[in-house]
Amino acid sequence: MDSVSSSSSLDDSTQLSPNSDSKAVDQRFDLLSVTDEPIQSEPSHRGNGDGFTNGSLNPERSTGDEDDDQLGVEDQELVADEGPSSPNSCSYACERGSSSATSVSRIDAASDIDDIEIREVRNESSFEGISDSQPSSGVPGKHRVDEDDASISWRKRKKHFFILSNSGKPIYSRYGDEHKLAGFSATLQAIISFMENGGDRVKLVKAGKHQVVFVVKGPIYLVCISCNEEPFESLKGQLELIYGQMILILTKSINRSFEKNPKFDMTHLLGGTDDVFSSLIHSFSWNPATFLHAYTCLPLAYATRQAAGAILQDVADSGVLFAILMCKHKVISLVGAQKASLHPDDILLLSNFVMSSESFRTSESFSPICLPRYNPLAFLHAYVHFLDVDTYLMLLTTSSDAFYHLKDCRIRIETVLLKSNVRSEVQRSLLDGGIRVEDLHVAPLPQSGPSPHQVQQILQTDSPERPREPFVGIGGPAGLWHFIYRSIYLDQYVSSEFSPPLNNHQQQKRLYRAYLRLYASMHDKGIGPYKTQFKRDENYVLLCWVTQDFELYAAFDPLADKAEAIKTCNRVCQWLKDVENEIFLHGASPFSW
Amino acid sequence: MASRRRMLLKVIILGDSGVGKTSLMNQYVNRKFSNQYKATIGADFLTKEVQFDDRLFTLQIWDTAGQERFQSLGVAFYRGADCCVLVHDVNVMKSFDNLNNWREEFLIQASPSDPENFPFVVLGNKVDVDGGNSRVVSEKKAKAWCASKGNIPYFETSAKEGFNVDAAFECIARNALKNEPEEEIYLPETIDVASGGRPQRSTGCEC
Repeated sequence: MDSVSSSSSLDDSTQLSPNSDSKAVDQRFDLLSVTDEPIQSEPSHRGNGDGFTNGSLNPERSTGDEDDDQLGVEDQELVADEGPSSPNSCSYACERGSSSATSVSRIDAASDIDDIEIREVRNESSFEGISDSQPSSGVPGKHRVDEDDASISWRKRKKHFFILSNSGKPIYSRYGDEHKLAGFSATLQAIISFMENGGDRVKLVKAGKHQVVFVVKGPIYLVCISCNEEPFESLKGQLELIYGQMILILTKSINRSFEKNPKFDMTHLLGGTDDVFSSLIHSFSWNPATFLHAYTCLPLAYATRQAAGAILQDVADSGVLFAILMCKHKVISLVGAQKASLHPDDILLLSNFVMSSESFRTSESFSPICLPRYNPLAFLHAYVHFLDVDTYLMLLTTSSDAFYHLKDCRIRIETVLLKSNVRSEVQRSLLDGGIRVEDLHVAPLPQSGPSPHQVQQILQTDSPERPREPFVGIGGPAGLWHFIYRSIYLDQYVSSEFSPPLNNHQQQKRLYRAYLRLYASMHDKGIGPYKTQFKRDENYVLLCWVTQDFELYAAFDPLADKAEAIKTCNRVCQWLKDVENEIFLHGASPFSW
Repeated sequence: MASRRRMLLKVIILGDSGVGKTSLMNQYVNRKFSNQYKATIGADFLTKEVQFDDRLFTLQIWDTAGQERFQSLGVAFYRGADCCVLVHDVNVMKSFDNLNNWREEFLIQASPSDPENFPFVVLGNKVDVDGGNSRVVSEKKAKAWCASKGNIPYFETSAKEGFNVDAAFECIARNALKNEPEEEIYLPETIDVASGGRPQRSTGCEC
């Protein structure tokens, strides 16, 4: 397990890293994570202890992958040392407490990180006025066009995104006016091209707290500068999505334009799309779809979703490639033609494009769009119509003269949706919200699987004064604050609603970043993959559990009891299984991926 | 959207070390001049917004290092340039003789689509030195060379006194603009499922 140091270096490419923070992070996760080594642990007596009847608690880890559906309480390796029993103990402190076998440099590295985290926290409060949550919480769009690289406010921005051409011409900047940043853009190109000239590629530059991440896509260069402590892999994934969004608008034919004319200035081709990019960048701080590469559904009764799916299927059979009905960023139903499958990233980028372009809301539209994961080289045509302010229908076709046909399809769909009460059910689901941790019942749920809002009603009528565990105080059982569950086969995830104590934007964003780090550490190709991880710090207990079928990310009160937390995760999985017909879209025609 | 959008022009400044490339740029962008010589390392980048004929331009100026050891940066720097400015010191014959090398090197490295008509501008700098007494490259000689290379515009400048600098850069911008190719309509293909060609997918999975 000590061989992590080699895995943190980035293969064939250059990583400029004056102080190897990333290595330290790897090592930290290494210490806190579970190995795949089979271990021998005693069958637990706790398994029978609390009326948890369906046997989901099984302390014995099987060596095969298939039977990993249960999380063992007694599994020693699941748990990092919790160190001294002091309630203030955080993972870093614990690590030092248990570091007798580790090298000095590791301890130093760990305390380094500690310092950085503390600075970060201080930073967030002192720069509140211009932290990037501030402007983006309002109307999305271009922020502070008067800024340039000489402005102090521009330099204090915590996260920049740039798109430029390989001749150094600016294409997009999250903050500031692209033309005023022409010199800065040229500098970025010079750095990238200089490395390219040497037959190398620059991926990451670390400068103090700042990480500069580079992605090269042919003639297009994408750069992110962040001091948010996000993992390199997350930032890289975000740049890939930004590139995908650009491809969705223009297709990869832009490469041809650059081949014909290296001077090509593509800014004007992206005219009017600032909001699209701003909204995508904003979603990097709240939408789990951006790192899970999965989509989420609006909770609906099984029959309701079936009814919506049936009419979409009907339309798809008449020559529509994809028919997608969505509410905000959640899918109501979607259907693809024979052999056509839709990647979750395409759903994300398409819905972001539609929701952030004001013009789609004012009338029915027919617009060329490209689905980068379906075919990045060519356009499809999208018929878009908002049924109401949140609900919209997208019909994708290959035929450029299908507008009137699709309009007819839409009218048919709209009629059916109205008649079969889908519209009203959607409204109800919107009002009810998604799954809440408070609704996680202690007793097993009936197998029939009521919809989430029904579950809530049952809970309210059955046990209006449901006793909570005394030490919980707030949130769900055992101090469960939040969870994200991703079904691997379905390419879908479900995330619980934010509820107290995660009730302000800053706290939600912090948890989201903790998830990002957790996700990155679980999927690190160098040191992973791991199956389980338990991590306690001053903010949360984080528990992650990955099997062949699903990934569960859960956040608990930092004082939560470990065994209780693990039991609760089992219960969450059982609960979600019980309501899966309502929270997931099943059997969406040939929709395998 | 404005019908006449802002344009960004990438301008590369080339020439032997010490001919005054950085000083010219500083005079043009910042209206400043310093007698102290500081060698440019790699390249400096400056941005200047200009307006003429009611149009707004942004000049992205790449002030490159004249020393030979930086010449390997060429390809990276020259790609996609809209105009190339060749600078020599009228008091140093060698710097004038080298203009030919600079020009050819640029055309090789940048490989513009129409090398014959690529917009260059030649500047003979430091005309103020010693009241012109130490001058070795005559205006006539410089103009003759420019004429032989497809009528390259020629300006005599003094970065120190700001003489002719604005005029030279305006000409640079105009020339860059002249070379701008006709705007083509951006028309990517549409997926054609009917003609048998299955749309290509990023993952090769057969579902």
